[in-house]
Amino acid sequence: MTNVSLSTRPQKSMVATSLRIALYTVLLSVAALYLLPFAIMLITSLKDVEEIRTGTLLSLPSTLDFSAWGKAWSSACTGSTCDGIAPFFTNSFQIVVPAVIISTVLGALNGYVLSMWKFRGSEIFFAALLIGCFIPFQVILLPMARTLGWLGIANTTSGLVFVHVVYGIAFTTLFFRNFYQAIPSELVKAARLDGAGFFTIFRRIILPLSTPIIVVTIIWQFTQIWNDFLFGVAFSGFDTQPVTVALNNLVNTSFGGKEYNVDMAAAIMAALPTLIVYVLAGKYFVRGLTAGAVKG
Amino acid sequence: MASLVIDNVKKRYGNTSVLKGIDIAIEAGEFLILVGPSGCGKSTLMNAIAGLEDVTEGRILIDDQDVTFSSPKDRDIAMVFQSYALYPNMTVAENIAFGLEMRKVPKTEREQEVQRVAELLQISHLLNRKPSQLSGGQRQRVAMGRALARRPQLYLFDEPLSNLDAKLRVEMRTEIKKLHQKLKTTIVYVTHDQIEAMTLADRIAVMKDGEVQQLGTPQEIYDNPANLFVAGFMGSPAMNFIPAKVIESGNTIMLELTTNTIETPTTINTIETPTRLPFPNAESLQSHIGKEVLLGLRPEMITEPQPHKAGLEFTVNSHVNVDVVEPMGADTMMITRIGNNEVNCRCHPSYNMVVGATCEVMFDTSKAVAFDIESGQRLD
Repeated sequence: MTNVSLSTRPQKSMVATSLRIALYTVLLSVAALYLLPFAIMLITSLKDVEEIRTGTLLSLPSTLDFSAWGKAWSSACTGSTCDGIAPFFTNSFQIVVPAVIISTVLGALNGYVLSMWKFRGSEIFFAALLIGCFIPFQVILLPMARTLGWLGIANTTSGLVFVHVVYGIAFTTLFFRNFYQAIPSELVKAARLDGAGFFTIFRRIILPLSTPIIVVTIIWQFTQIWNDFLFGVAFSGFDTQPVTVALNNLVNTSFGGKEYNVDMAAAIMAALPTLIVYVLAGKYFVRGLTAGAVKG
Repeated sequence: MASLVIDNVKKRYGNTSVLKGIDIAIEAGEFLILVGPSGCGKSTLMNAIAGLEDVTEGRILIDDQDVTFSSPKDRDIAMVFQSYALYPNMTVAENIAFGLEMRKVPKTEREQEVQRVAELLQISHLLNRKPSQLSGGQRQRVAMGRALARRPQLYLFDEPLSNLDAKLRVEMRTEIKKLHQKLKTTIVYVTHDQIEAMTLADRIAVMKDGEVQQLGTPQEIYDNPANLFVAGFMGSPAMNFIPAKVIESGNTIMLELTTNTIETPTTINTIETPTRLPFPNAESLQSHIGKEVLLGLRPEMITEPQPHKAGLEFTVNSHVNVDVVEPMGADTMMITRIGNNEVNCRCHPSYNMVVGATCEVMFDTSKAVAFDIESGQRLD
């Protein structure tokens, strides 16, 4: 008996080891596949135009040349102006920050009402709201353009904030409502008997429990709005264009040869804020998405 | 402390009636227990008293004031929930003080009150902890503390002990009883545990299908159940229901039932022995002579033959088969069959009972009751 177990043990661990090696090989190659485009962007942005033309995609730059980054930031031409993408960064932040805050606050309030203060028809209301998550951007372009014009905020930053808030509420409400669904409604009952009102209960009891879902919502909304191109290109004025639109203009504006290094540097910079948000709050994102899925 | 009047309260959701006209009145300082199976409407009634749910019809009065349409915070009620509903982001002290804070009680007074309640419930050492750092029993105490701190007119307890393990539940039960004796508070307490109901209540309201089946003291409910449902719900093990025929024997009306006994362990022939039992309120069965009724007899009324009771007016000895023997320490439960019904008998542990054999038992019908087989209503 002992002989058998002694002889099988090394075999078993050999199978386990080779499985492990296979697993890591697959994982590493998939990771490489995903990282490759980013690596190429980074490499290309550090080469000069001459080197890009003569070398291959993956050949490393001979010297680290950051001049393309500087140009993309402050002097590359985006259509008729040549101030780089820096001013559009400001535009994007002016759109994203208020839009994220407003849509998150409204989503939290909606979720609070739809899970803790159910009223006749609240489930139907919620179902109707959910349809908002599935409406493609293109469908609302024309009606929204008319609405913005009617409201007098066409081509303004406030107009874009408005569009993103309206479009985001469906998602933020869904997030908060599902999160609050897992909070026992007896907490609200107890607070009501204790004498707390609608907003006091929200502020003192519900909001302090909401950190994970707030982080999820902020990441989601930040990414969505920062990366949006269609609304940006359709509803922005000349001086309110977000960075995604500017990036497109930068890539399409060329005098003579294409400056791939500048394009790549600009693209990386435009993607950087969402990357930073993920790195800082990524662990909450995964935690928050699974929270409420399993009770306890 | 306040009295509570529930006057013909009805609650409907669409076409389904959850409460079908509840009438209950309790005095200040009384301990009322609402008991019944799940879905009987007891929690809905509790929520209606608290103001967390609107009633469709009827009135609710606290201390003679109509509060039917008042908001929960204006009713001056505190409630202890089954899940405790402690605010997870606040410490124990903050949990207890929250209601006072909402009622704009000054900080120093709040702190004194928290200290008072914490000492009363022996949770002073827990005041700085969060609810997640407490055990089930400790959370239960904090939940009670939160209710006690405000000194409300009326306390509502919604199955407060059902999340505790058996031993702790018994301890906390006694604790709640002591607290009520000490503070003389008016309490409405919902439970589905009939032992909790018996031990704690001044009065019990047994509910079923949105109606109060019976409202009375624990002893009344135990001895004089209004119908088959109440009789079967209260008491553990439940009351025995034995089909019996009402017969006239001489001048008196008696109940006749048939016990089966096996002649010897080796044969399967059973002998049907008719047993005639006297009945305390026999005249009330006059109209049922010749018909079958259900005789209700508590397990402790079917025992081994007890010499000091022999020859009394309502005792009769008979033989039954022993099907199951369950020693419980203080007593031994013996289970037999009479007619088609299982019957529990509470015997002394020293009494010799052999499974499969027959033994002699004594029926004591001095507290027996009778029910109509069809309607389940009391006959006597």
